[in-house]
Amino acid sequence: MQITFLQGILLSIFGAIAGLDSYTEALYIFRPIISCAVTGLILGDPVTGLLAGGIAELTFAGLTNAGGTQPPNPAVCGIMTVVIAHTTKVAPATAVGLSLPFAMLMQYIILMYYSLFSGFMPSMDKAAQNADTGKFNRFIYFSMFVMAATFFVIIFLSAYAAQGPMAALVKAMPKWLIHGFELAGGALPAVGFAMLLKVLLRINYVPYLLLGFVIASFINYSNVLPAAVIGVVFAMIDFFDNKQHQKLQAQIDEVKENGGSEDGI
Amino acid sequence: MESNSNKKYTKVSKSDITKLGLRSSLFQLGFNYERMQAPGWTWAQIPVWKKIFGDDKEAMSEAMVDNMNFINTSPPLVPILLGLLTSMEEKRVDRKTISGLKNALFAPLAGIGDAIYWFTIMPIVGGICASFASKGNPLGPIIFFLVYLGIFLCRIPFAHLGYDMGTKAIDVIQKNSTIISKSASIMGLTVIGALISSYVTLSLKVKIGSVSLQKDFLDKVFPNLLPLGFTFFLYWLLKKKEVSPIVLIVVVFTLCIACSFFGIM
Repeated sequence: MQITFLQGILLSIFGAIAGLDSYTEALYIFRPIISCAVTGLILGDPVTGLLAGGIAELTFAGLTNAGGTQPPNPAVCGIMTVVIAHTTKVAPATAVGLSLPFAMLMQYIILMYYSLFSGFMPSMDKAAQNADTGKFNRFIYFSMFVMAATFFVIIFLSAYAAQGPMAALVKAMPKWLIHGFELAGGALPAVGFAMLLKVLLRINYVPYLLLGFVIASFINYSNVLPAAVIGVVFAMIDFFDNKQHQKLQAQIDEVKENGGSEDGI
Repeated sequence: MESNSNKKYTKVSKSDITKLGLRSSLFQLGFNYERMQAPGWTWAQIPVWKKIFGDDKEAMSEAMVDNMNFINTSPPLVPILLGLLTSMEEKRVDRKTISGLKNALFAPLAGIGDAIYWFTIMPIVGGICASFASKGNPLGPIIFFLVYLGIFLCRIPFAHLGYDMGTKAIDVIQKNSTIISKSASIMGLTVIGALISSYVTLSLKVKIGSVSLQKDFLDKVFPNLLPLGFTFFLYWLLKKKEVSPIVLIVVVFTLCIACSFFGIM
């Protein structure tokens, strides 16, 4: 299916807004579950948007901005996944894999801007010294404009201008390669979870990880809510234990202090 | 003087704090490698400083120069810190105390924020909404959007909370940051365990004689053992071999395409 010029422009406008959101982390409409759904609506293919959003969101579960890092851009991944699935008729899982090069391209562009904006810091220091608030406004709006414009151009080029060559490329791919991409779509969430584990996992938390895994493997339920609720239960138990412990520690310290002074007398 | 220093809203009004909370949603604009969020952080406070310092250019310049120092904190929680520091600026607490407080708090706040927002709320909400979306249910993206809209709106009460708590906030944040991150980690890890079992899909096609390795052996031993093992393999690469996430993604693609080519999966 072809993407019309109007759809291309609408996608680019949405790309600019969602992209800016991925920079500011204000509304989280840059997350694939939202960006896929909106792209599906723009392309008149809402079901593909929903299905792709479900897969792409999980692929990005661990690829977070935590600690000021930049993952492959989720907004671009979301938009391109639906664009690829819609135009080339491949399965959404395959499309997630095919969209990653675009998301990585955007990631590198943003990292380049991070370096570039560092170059403005000396002049911002000077503006701060002179209490030049106008200059701060101009710099902030400038960075906003640059980011939005970049997303607009990248989405327009990849979603509208390059759709012909892209469809040709997908058509030319042998079956095993397409199936390989589909497999990768199913395996990629593991990268995200591995990254979450790298940050979160301590040896004393391993039981909780296994607990969640076992619950979801054996309870046949359509989502992870039961595991989440049991997680809340254990979190609360631990929280109250720690609070109690803190209180006791404070009491012990108090007794020790009093004891010490009495001994002194 | 003493009683005067405890008064609230002497220079800024209630609506100024509300605006501060809303303005905080754009504070990552101008993000760069050298100072990270410093330009946006400074920019967000300019309107309240204008109210507080009035025509005193020197005080304005001092505040701006000081706030242009490096800062990297949690975007959804930053309004608390902004509100807190505004209440201190308003009382004209000396510059060293204010910047000392900022530097003492932004890192623990970033830790709590990442633990709560990226590693607890995101996997739970994302996981549940993705499971709706992958069945073609539009509630997936809708619930996701509403939850994050709620998180966005929390910026307003958070800014007021910070402002009202004043110096009391420091104690609360520092005392509870480890307990809160610990409980959040427990919840997050339980859900991640469930997500690994539900969303990493790997299944072998290999047969030994008439025995299917996946259906007749692995699924009987323990369902989803392969996804768990694969996730831990990636975790091991990340943690012990310090492989970068981008390399991991390439590894996953290569493995999947190779497995598809040789008919293993």
